[in-house]
Amino acid sequence: MNKLTFSIGGVHPNDNKRARECAIEVLPLPKTVYVSMAQHLGAPAKPIVAVGDFIKTGQVIAEPGGFISAFVHSPATGTVKSIAPRKDLAGNNVMHIEITVSEEEIWADGIDLSDTLVTEIPEDKAATLDKIKACGVVGLGGATFPTHVKLNPAPGSKAECLILNGAECEPYLTSDYRIMLERTKEIVVGAAIMQKVLGGCRCVIGIEENKPEAIEAMSKAVSELGYKDIKVQVLKKRYPQGGEKQLIDAVMKRQVKSGALPISVGAVVQNVATALAVYEAVQKNKPLITNTLTITGDCMPDNRQHNYLFRIGVPLSFIVDYAGGIPEQAAKMISGGPMMGRAIANLDAATVKGSSSVLFLSEGATRRKAESSCIRCGRCADACPMGLEPFLLHRLYKAGDVAELEKASAQDCIECGCCLYSCPANIPLLDRIRQAKGMALGAIKARAAAAKAAAEAAKAAAEAKK
Amino acid sequence: MTNTILWTIVILTVLGLLLSLILFWVAKKFKVEEDPRIDEVEKVMPGANCGGCGFAGCRAFADAAVHAPNLDNNYCPVGGNEVMKKVADILGYQVTEKAPMVAVVRCNGSCQNRPVVNEYDGDMSCRVKAALYSGDTGCAFGCLGCGDCVNACQFGAISMNPETGLPVVDETKCTACGACAKACPKHVIEIRNAGTTPRNTRRVYVSCVNKDKGGVARKACTAACIGCGKCAKVCKFDAITIQDNLCYIDYAKCKACGQCVFECPTGAIHAVNFEPKKVEPKPVQPVEPVKKEAANE
Repeated sequence: MNKLTFSIGGVHPNDNKRARECAIEVLPLPKTVYVSMAQHLGAPAKPIVAVGDFIKTGQVIAEPGGFISAFVHSPATGTVKSIAPRKDLAGNNVMHIEITVSEEEIWADGIDLSDTLVTEIPEDKAATLDKIKACGVVGLGGATFPTHVKLNPAPGSKAECLILNGAECEPYLTSDYRIMLERTKEIVVGAAIMQKVLGGCRCVIGIEENKPEAIEAMSKAVSELGYKDIKVQVLKKRYPQGGEKQLIDAVMKRQVKSGALPISVGAVVQNVATALAVYEAVQKNKPLITNTLTITGDCMPDNRQHNYLFRIGVPLSFIVDYAGGIPEQAAKMISGGPMMGRAIANLDAATVKGSSSVLFLSEGATRRKAESSCIRCGRCADACPMGLEPFLLHRLYKAGDVAELEKASAQDCIECGCCLYSCPANIPLLDRIRQAKGMALGAIKARAAAAKAAAEAAKAAAEAKK
Repeated sequence: MTNTILWTIVILTVLGLLLSLILFWVAKKFKVEEDPRIDEVEKVMPGANCGGCGFAGCRAFADAAVHAPNLDNNYCPVGGNEVMKKVADILGYQVTEKAPMVAVVRCNGSCQNRPVVNEYDGDMSCRVKAALYSGDTGCAFGCLGCGDCVNACQFGAISMNPETGLPVVDETKCTACGACAKACPKHVIEIRNAGTTPRNTRRVYVSCVNKDKGGVARKACTAACIGCGKCAKVCKFDAITIQDNLCYIDYAKCKACGQCVFECPTGAIHAVNFEPKKVEPKPVQPVEPVKKEAANE
């Protein structure tokens, strides 16, 4: 089969998928879980339970706080102990619902807990979307964008291709790989459901070539289940293949314009884990309260690598203790992949819907070298998958020139870290370009707000004249 | 040969005269009438171009001051009352004197008070650090210690104390332009009055911005304000308010009596420019004369 990839930039980090052979284990529940109210992109959810309430597993405990927001469900049976700010993994205060877990587990009504595969796709699109929304499904590829919003494109735009992201291009991570092997058919049914919701577009499941078993299993499941227009596409191993715009470029050979959404070129990208969540939501009525997480790292012994099915809200420290504690040589803990993940500043933080891994990296693998001067070698520009010039953005950021940053498309940065990875002078390019992106986006937003206010004022004036 | 030189001189002279006439005409025709007072005002300005007044530089300030109906909204914090008097003289306005201000670092999270719980390895910039996480210590509100304020100061008035890891303001150099307060992503630096009155430079402030509950704040930093409210109870001038587990002393109301300083269980309230204490352990003595003075005013 012809292997595809995106057209510009990218790097080839060693994939280090050390936990690939570890089957998914079910993580037990601790005595207390903490459910964050800000575990999706957009407005934080609003708690609808009170302290002292008894809640069942899978019960809604918070409702969306805006259009782009999501329902949050209880991951366990128990009583609400407190609703208070608690530190997230970056150490910032976020509202959490603390639940004391009771011994007996009672599931909320209407949730199908059986293992039987339901292959029949429901016809009613609106009802399916409602179910996805009610089950709190968000994109599990990293951005945690509410799935029901993404699957309901604005009127006038038509989805031509649903791309299922099974690239998992980040080194170390194996959770997507494991679910593709162990929950293969569910994922394919999930894809078919989304295909139906989007109005019967074609569907491409993109998987990188370093996961031949997953490619084989998925291809087999696709042909066995026999849904129309679903195919598995092998992708070359290259980072950041799983980036939304990169995946669209690889599969459809179309480029998403600056500031535009993927739907503008007829594409909708969903992660394989999201497809599984959609399957569980629509066919089993099961809300998003579990996800798969890899616990690995270069200093983690081989026998302590794990893939866990965890309840969302379990503290990271509990998972780490369950896996045998922090390895001795660990110098840095990262939540997410080593390229785009965030360092964990507070291990007591609770897991969220988007948690995909806990990585333990050794001193040698993470310690940054001393920064030296830019030698204008241009490696960062070669590596940038968005075609930006990181060295230029870096210089403009230092000068604080927001107008020029915008002209140089700082706002298009996807924060993949390829520039930082390739820089021989060890300049913390990503740290600074992330700031530059914020500045450029701030300027664009301010202008849009000013234009909106001016338009409204003009409208009001015109009405006053009448 | 001589002819060539002669012709060259003649042609160039005529050309020069002709062009100068055109330039003269253009200069007359397109002359921009500018208020001469702008230049005058600019001359008396400090010339720091720091932006502390809210304008792009000293000339922009002069331009705005000349065109404003009064000087109420235009004040040069760097030049202070002295410069503003000169400006008012030129423009024939009244100037309302403002109490001198100074930048105050509201964090006392030194290495002893606030143990470091993790290590930062990224770009040494408070702004970048603040975007990534809450900081090296358990306190999510305090100083990050990368020195963005030091870089922002054009007057060399802030430096990092290598022992505490906190910025220190040199009050003699600080012009209260506010650049450091703007640069601080944690809003730790506040521009406060330099003293209770222009003559008296004694002042009292809460050196903490932690809004966590008392226990959490105390766990992260021994010098944190725990919002216990003892200071507010003891204050006779209603100068202290508590919001989100954090005390704030309103400098407009504070008489710098210093009662709250002794009352604070964590030492989060700082007293500056008081006479050195005579009695070491529980110095109740200095409180009395201060109160008298406050009453006299």
